[in-house]
Amino acid sequence: MKSIFDSRSLRLLAAAIVVLNGFFPALWILLTSLKTEGELVSRPITYWPHNPVLENYVRAFTDQPLLKYLGNSFAVALLSTVLSLVVAACAAYAIARLNLKRRQLVLTCIVASSMFPLVTLLVPIFETMRNLNLLNTYTALVLPYTVLNLPVCTLVLVSFFQSISKDLENAAMIDGCTRMGALVRVVIPLAAPGVFTAGILGFVNAWDEFLLALSLNSTPAMRTLPVGISLYQGEFTFPWPTISAALIVAIVPVAVLIALFQERVVGGLTQGGLKG
Amino acid sequence: MKSPASSIEGRPTDAPAPRPGLVDRIKDPDEKTLALILLAPAFILLALIVAYPIGRLIWNSFFDLRLSGGAARFVGLENYALALQDPDFWNATWNTVLITVVTVPGALVVGLGLAMLANLPFKRRWPVRLALLLPWALPLAFVGLIFAWFFHTEFGVVNDVLRRLGVNTPTMWLLSPRLAFAAICGAIIWKTSSFMALILLAGLQMIPKSLYEAAEVDGASKWQQFWQITIPMLMPSIIVALIFRTITALQTFDIPVTMTHGGPGNATQTLAMLIHATTIDYLDVGYGSTLAVLMFVLSLIVTGFYLQRIGRSA
Repeated sequence: MKSIFDSRSLRLLAAAIVVLNGFFPALWILLTSLKTEGELVSRPITYWPHNPVLENYVRAFTDQPLLKYLGNSFAVALLSTVLSLVVAACAAYAIARLNLKRRQLVLTCIVASSMFPLVTLLVPIFETMRNLNLLNTYTALVLPYTVLNLPVCTLVLVSFFQSISKDLENAAMIDGCTRMGALVRVVIPLAAPGVFTAGILGFVNAWDEFLLALSLNSTPAMRTLPVGISLYQGEFTFPWPTISAALIVAIVPVAVLIALFQERVVGGLTQGGLKG
Repeated sequence: MKSPASSIEGRPTDAPAPRPGLVDRIKDPDEKTLALILLAPAFILLALIVAYPIGRLIWNSFFDLRLSGGAARFVGLENYALALQDPDFWNATWNTVLITVVTVPGALVVGLGLAMLANLPFKRRWPVRLALLLPWALPLAFVGLIFAWFFHTEFGVVNDVLRRLGVNTPTMWLLSPRLAFAAICGAIIWKTSSFMALILLAGLQMIPKSLYEAAEVDGASKWQQFWQITIPMLMPSIIVALIFRTITALQTFDIPVTMTHGGPGNATQTLAMLIHATTIDYLDVGYGSTLAVLMFVLSLIVTGFYLQRIGRSA
């Protein structure tokens, strides 16, 4: 197939467009975070920092409890991911393997829950959490996030369970394994990549969530990263250098995660998307 | 594929031996019982976090209920009547619909472009793949902050590029209702087009090469191939991506909050922002619930429209 993109230089140009589009905002924030306050407010603006400094990173941690935000984000994202993986794995196994009459309906029910606008759930969830005195606790976020992640985790895991040959499981059962034994010894280990993929998707979703985190956990000590950083605004000015540094700190963990496991993430995303 | 099974063969004989009673009970559970047990946690959570709140929401929408004090008072449809006469509600609805109408097709077009470029035969695929994943992984709130910095009147890179192109008076992007709206749409399209591109890229990779080869033999131009092969073959992926994108576009919250706080005035306030302010800031749960029900109806209408379309084309 001949095309204008057969030429190497044009292919490189295409790659450059995609790469620049994807990386430029993060790169620009990285450059901003390395500039001094003085350089930042000089006009015309500079693109490359003249003498890169790290003081903004120190200030990001000392001006605001950034470490606390990081810890909160990690705790909430990790707890909700593990919880939704356990719940989704159970449900997905039942849907994929057991003799269920209305399996499609069950799956549709779980997936359809993601069609409800989160903000409509926010009002009653806020009211309930307030009545239960759960505002500004990890529980307030972990429970809703678990449910938010349930559809995508279930979808990914169902297709993984379905891809594992039933013969293996049957062989294990003939050899004296119970069904639960076969699930734990054969199916879960073979589905580990699927569990892992679903876990990354869930973690990123929870890490990124803003509306509930802003509404339910607003005290400074309980803020997650997106809430904490967007409320950084100083009393008089918006401290851009510090914010940029904080953004980089907040972006790096997830960026590393997706860089390491990009093929799996893409696989999981498109699977979840295409099967939905 | 025989080996994993045979390696397991030895284990069960020594592992479950110590507790035969328990093993017997879970040895051969009725499949239906097992299915119910396994599905229970998911459905209990869905009932608690989705079904109950939806019911509660509808119930609350008939009450004058303020968490700031005072008992709930049944008001029937009064809240709904109030909402339909509330200029803030119509402003927020209009903004939400406009954002959806602009950013969904926008993200589709940009995403399709990115997907076509990313589908070229590169030697190393990871830089392109990571470039599509990074915007997806960035929190929307961060994207809002970053783009607010891009569009900063004095120190933003957008105005600097414009200055280099000869525009000497800096544009006050986020202080003019229309420009702020455009800037927000730009940020949303940038953020969401990558996910769109990933879905479409997977679709592109599933199109058999032989179709293009056959078209080539028949003398079809690239343009014809795009409209006669690529687009029709991509349709299922496009529809899925559009449904997801539309549902999230109707819920737009993070980016306007972090870019403009809904300003100037309430020129960029969305329905989600209005509901959030009514409920969380003013603690007016009754009216907030009514607004949320109306938003729910709006998204049902849109989803129904899509599903009907799919039903017709299937």
